Amino acid sequence: MKKQNVLSLVLGIVVGAVVLFLLASCSEEEFNPELTRTFSIEAASNGATYTIQVALPEDYNSSVEKYSTLYVLDGEENFDFVANHCDAISKSSVTQNVVVVSIGYGQDRSIDYTPTKVSAATGGGAQFLEFIETQLIPRIEEDFNVDTTRNSRAILGHSYGGLFGACALAVNNKLFGNYILLSPSIWFDNEVSLLLEKANRAMNKDRYQLVFLGIGEVENSGRMQAPFEAFYQTLRDNYSHIKLSRNREKDLDHVGSKNPNIIKGLNYYFQNR
Amino acid sequence: MKLKIHLSLAIFLFAFTPGYSQNELARTLTIEPGVGIHTNFGTDLLFSNLVQWNPTKRLAIASHSSFNINNITQRNFNYVKTDYNYSLNQKFGAGTTLYSKNSSHTFLFMAGVKYTAYQETLDNPNFNKVSTSITSLSPDYGMMYSLKRGWKKYFFTARFYLPLSPWLTYGANIENVQGTLRDTALEFGMGIKIM
Repeated sequence: MKKQNVLSLVLGIVVGAVVLFLLASCSEEEFNPELTRTFSIEAASNGATYTIQVALPEDYNSSVEKYSTLYVLDGEENFDFVANHCDAISKSSVTQNVVVVSIGYGQDRSIDYTPTKVSAATGGGAQFLEFIETQLIPRIEEDFNVDTTRNSRAILGHSYGGLFGACALAVNNKLFGNYILLSPSIWFDNEVSLLLEKANRAMNKDRYQLVFLGIGEVENSGRMQAPFEAFYQTLRDNYSHIKLSRNREKDLDHVGSKNPNIIKGLNYYFQNR
Repeated sequence: MKLKIHLSLAIFLFAFTPGYSQNELARTLTIEPGVGIHTNFGTDLLFSNLVQWNPTKRLAIASHSSFNINNITQRNFNYVKTDYNYSLNQKFGAGTTLYSKNSSHTFLFMAGVKYTAYQETLDNPNFNKVSTSITSLSPDYGMMYSLKRGWKKYFFTARFYLPLSPWLTYGANIENVQGTLRDTALEFGMGIKIM
């Protein structure tokens, strides 16, 4: 075999091995099954059945400490990633971990996460929020040793999930004190979430809020950036007791920025709650 | 996963190709302007040019430049106006050329930078007007396949560029995809053989 062919063979093997290693390292690690509790609830408000996964802290003690809770939307996609990073961040920052409550899909996410009906597959946000308030939170606070105050509850959502979180902040602000809202679809229905915020501002503006807003730097689809900025400026300029942070994730788009922004949002939450 | 395996195999095979015939002398220099789209549902319009130099028959060295008008079909949506939205890409690369009767097939590994600039304004009568402008400079590397058909001075050219940065990612909605699949470019044009 010629010398240059041998070199090509070695180069090929090295490149192939590196690529396969990178691909393998991308796989998401499952959260510890021994610390996971799973159950289903049928929502009285819309009839859908939601699979709930609860990730308990490693040192969970049902009789001593009261834990904060983090409610995660798009649960099927985000549960393992969020639960693993909460565990890692709480350990590295030596702070108490939270109970992660992941809400699976009961029906189309575009129905559950949007506030108004602009098509057949939108507009069920109020019913979904009612389910969280009247069934899910009471169940979690009854079955687990968690803090029951507003300021101990957080919600994390991406895209329509971020829109849902923004609407929860506006219309039912007593439910959650902490919001991790990633690439929120504020553009939805002519920025109706901004209208809801404006309509309820007088009730909410003096209440404590922690809000992390994340987006991708190259979300240039012509709808994301300006409404995101308007929402950020609204919170910054009108809420007196707010801890507010904004992050634009470099080089990344709507989907690619999600996980990096989850990590940044969780870090901000753990450091500032 | 299947796609990832195929991509890995393509890269693996690609690494072999330069070794075959370094000493054949058939120098060519071509300039290949073209137009194209991204695979993000065809909403970006690309104006590009590939300059390819083959110092030997098999070895290809190339420079690829493009100006992209992004999201050309949706400039006014729900009171959000796109004031401007474009990208400039410049990549250099090397690879190999294979020949058949009336065409040639060049496989290149390309690397360079992508500069993106855009501005959006929310002008909803219910709120204050808000504008935000973003600029982004990011690495751009991936694999390019270039087909040349016809062996006179002028020829038809088609290019396919598969970016490897950022790596492909998916969301809950099938339309929510970023990276390799979304930014794959298809370009078509006419080429000129200079030497």
